[in-house]
Amino acid sequence: MAEHHWGWLIAIYLFLGGMGAGSFMMAAVFELSGLRYEHDFCPTAMAGAGVSGPLILVGVLLLVFDLGAGLREPWRIPLMFTNFGSVMTWGIWILTLFLPICFLYGLLELMHNQPGIMVWVRKRLRLLARRWRFLPRLWRLLPRPLRVMPEVLPYRWIKRIVCGAGIVLAVGTAVYTGVLLSVVKAVPLWNTPILPALFLVSAISTGMGLSFDLAATLALPEIHRRYTAMPLVHMFFIGLEVVLLALFLIVSLSRGGEAAESARLILIGNRSVVFWVLVIGFGMVYPFMVHVYAFARHSHGFLSGILSGAGIVIAGLFVRYLIVAAAIPITM
Amino acid sequence: MGQGHEHQAVDAAEQSIITANSIATSRRTFLKAGLTGGLLVAVGGGWLSLSQALSKVQSEFVLIIDLNKCVGCRACEKACNQRNDLPEDKSFIRVLAKGEGQDRWFLPIQCQHCGKAPCEQVCPAKATYYHPSGVVLVNDKVCVGCKYCAVACPYDARIYDEHTGVVSKCWLCLDWVLGGGKPACVQSCLRGARIFGRRGDTEIARILASGRTQILHPEIGTEPGVLRYIFPGT
Repeated sequence: MAEHHWGWLIAIYLFLGGMGAGSFMMAAVFELSGLRYEHDFCPTAMAGAGVSGPLILVGVLLLVFDLGAGLREPWRIPLMFTNFGSVMTWGIWILTLFLPICFLYGLLELMHNQPGIMVWVRKRLRLLARRWRFLPRLWRLLPRPLRVMPEVLPYRWIKRIVCGAGIVLAVGTAVYTGVLLSVVKAVPLWNTPILPALFLVSAISTGMGLSFDLAATLALPEIHRRYTAMPLVHMFFIGLEVVLLALFLIVSLSRGGEAAESARLILIGNRSVVFWVLVIGFGMVYPFMVHVYAFARHSHGFLSGILSGAGIVIAGLFVRYLIVAAAIPITM
Repeated sequence: MGQGHEHQAVDAAEQSIITANSIATSRRTFLKAGLTGGLLVAVGGGWLSLSQALSKVQSEFVLIIDLNKCVGCRACEKACNQRNDLPEDKSFIRVLAKGEGQDRWFLPIQCQHCGKAPCEQVCPAKATYYHPSGVVLVNDKVCVGCKYCAVACPYDARIYDEHTGVVSKCWLCLDWVLGGGKPACVQSCLRGARIFGRRGDTEIARILASGRTQILHPEIGTEPGVLRYIFPGT
């Protein structure tokens, strides 16, 4: 039965992949739109750049940890790149491309914003070069265009290209996690195209919750006065998530059979408390109300900003957990 | 009439130029459009390519289970476990009890060797493959143990072995079968409820032609190739 084969590890991976992709999308939107450069310090871009890579890396490690023979004999893992008819293979390709881009973006953001760190690195490198004579010789072997100093790199252009490529892969990551489940005919609850859409919107929402509500409120509480339209955007995505979640459950109920049984398990089953309290209450209704209030007052409370961010993130995790756990396979 | 159409076409072209300009001027709109477009392409493309399964594989062998004769003794299950060195609690065959009292009947389920096998389709490492005879096999040297196949199998016919870390399932005792023998479950069936042979064998062809045999849950659409059932009362 499906719920025995895939459990918590997969649910957490789906969540981390989605949130990593979502926070990258946030940072990339700030970067590409130029919002990021309206002020000296942009915590949203910083959070997205710093957090998306590690989040997705942890998710991928969980995936690898969930493998059987592949974990014990890692040289089998490259075989997983071979079946282009499998959604898992698509996902592995997307992640293989996206993960370095996340870390590259994080590094670029660090180099661009913390020149002090680069000075420090240069000092260490000079010491190393004095000790090992072959290092400067290797450096001189590089083609000329690559031998530029980090201070003179055209960061904005490089970041624009990285963000442009990354945002496509981020959408790919978020959508594929939904397609991975939705192609499984054996689990009627999953077998609907609403699921990829729900996972994408949830990814954007958790990304905003993490890098705007949580990180930005912690780092710079007055950020909410800066971007007064942000609560509106956030309300839109929370609303869309509620609509998609409702649609997902109503469609499942109306399809009858195992799909309806799974939906009832989420709505009134033994995990329904998690659904109504954590997902709907704390993760959607509460943040929505906080953002309505923030939009009206053009400011955010420190505590409400953090709590709504935490709520959205927790909802993202438990939505995926419930969907994985409530999978009832076709009964024979 | 013709002019009217032309006029409309020019209007539409102008309209599209205006739209294109407004997209180009507003970077944010462009981003949003990109995001939505990406979503639509990804979901639509994924959905289309996967709902149309690969071409059906025709199997050479047929295993008919006559449920009128099956008494649920689970001898097939035990013989299978012995043949494949499986522990008591894990088996390639599950015997489900159906109905109540007088109407009680049993339904043994194992790999149906689907013509459009979802396990074969989802396996990222191509560890699940078709033998030329149409039998679905797992290469345990290649399987990484991601369990996607076990999740995707509607007949729940796959077993994950924690010790080896690979997924396995009924392989129709292919070594015996190709040597002219019969699978362990067929040999062990005390009531002769399991009838096994090649598609062209007279006995098999006769039963298949009688129209009594059915596929288990044909509505799933995986088109089982080897397993056929004769349901009680038919």
